[in-house]
Amino acid sequence: MKILVADDSRVMRQIVIRTLRQAGYDDHDIVEAEDGRDAYDKVQAENPDLVLSDWNMPNMTGLECLQALRSAGSGVPFGFVTSEGSQEMRDKASAAGALFLIAKPFNEETFRENLDGVIA
Amino acid sequence: MTLAPDAVTRPTQPRVTIPELIDEATVEAIAGEAWVALVGEDEVLVPLPGDLPAETVSAWVDVVGPWTGSVVLTTGRQTAADLTRALLGQAAPELLDHEDVADAFGEIANVVGGNVKAALPGPSTLGLPQVGEAPDVRNPEDVCRLEVLWRGQPLVVSVQGALPALPTPHQNPPHPNGASL
Repeated sequence: MKILVADDSRVMRQIVIRTLRQAGYDDHDIVEAEDGRDAYDKVQAENPDLVLSDWNMPNMTGLECLQALRSAGSGVPFGFVTSEGSQEMRDKASAAGALFLIAKPFNEETFRENLDGVIA
Repeated sequence: MTLAPDAVTRPTQPRVTIPELIDEATVEAIAGEAWVALVGEDEVLVPLPGDLPAETVSAWVDVVGPWTGSVVLTTGRQTAADLTRALLGQAAPELLDHEDVADAFGEIANVVGGNVKAALPGPSTLGLPQVGEAPDVRNPEDVCRLEVLWRGQPLVVSVQGALPALPTPHQNPPHPNGASL
């Protein structure tokens, strides 16, 4: 399985990848994207099985990336990992077609709760 | 043309300041949770003041909404580097460069700021993290300041308004004859 991790912070991408490993999802290919635009391009080029994306990023936000992907006909499973977890944002994420929203700070249990059933 | 009397005499409405919206205990809980999750399970913040060293670095995010301001973390340069190593764990390079520290410290500010934002009235937006010299305190009444120690080193979390204090009515007296242009 191929997972695309999009975050403009390299440190946060590493923390997300480390948490995936700690949660037991350690046997997957990881692709990294450094903003929403890069994530959009890499979904087209790499065809991942899941996108884990930050919300607040330069060039294109995670939400804009998701909306652009859906407009382009991509149904790639998409979840947010973001520092804001308000109900308003959860509603927006859900309306745009996101499967879940994990608020930072998170731990491996949060990942398992959201990703069980999504990651084979 | 004359203005309605109440437009002349109505006092300036005070803006809501941050102490009315959030307290130190909430900021401490938010920062503590961020530390455990990002920096490490055994990493605690001790709510004690300390003297910041001469060389400091700040990371902050701006919140724009019913309350507008910044969530600013300030610590010594060495402490910021130590935080970066803790965040990166085994992925930390032998020599950290400024970009690593800006990225890691900025991300901590982003997570703390995002959770502070969630505790404030909305709707509001969160800016991207910035790192450098902290923005000035514009209104000393519009600040919630938390001083903590991490591994014995001082760190300050300041939730501070971006707007200057409103003039008080006596600083802006009405025209002597009660008229206003």
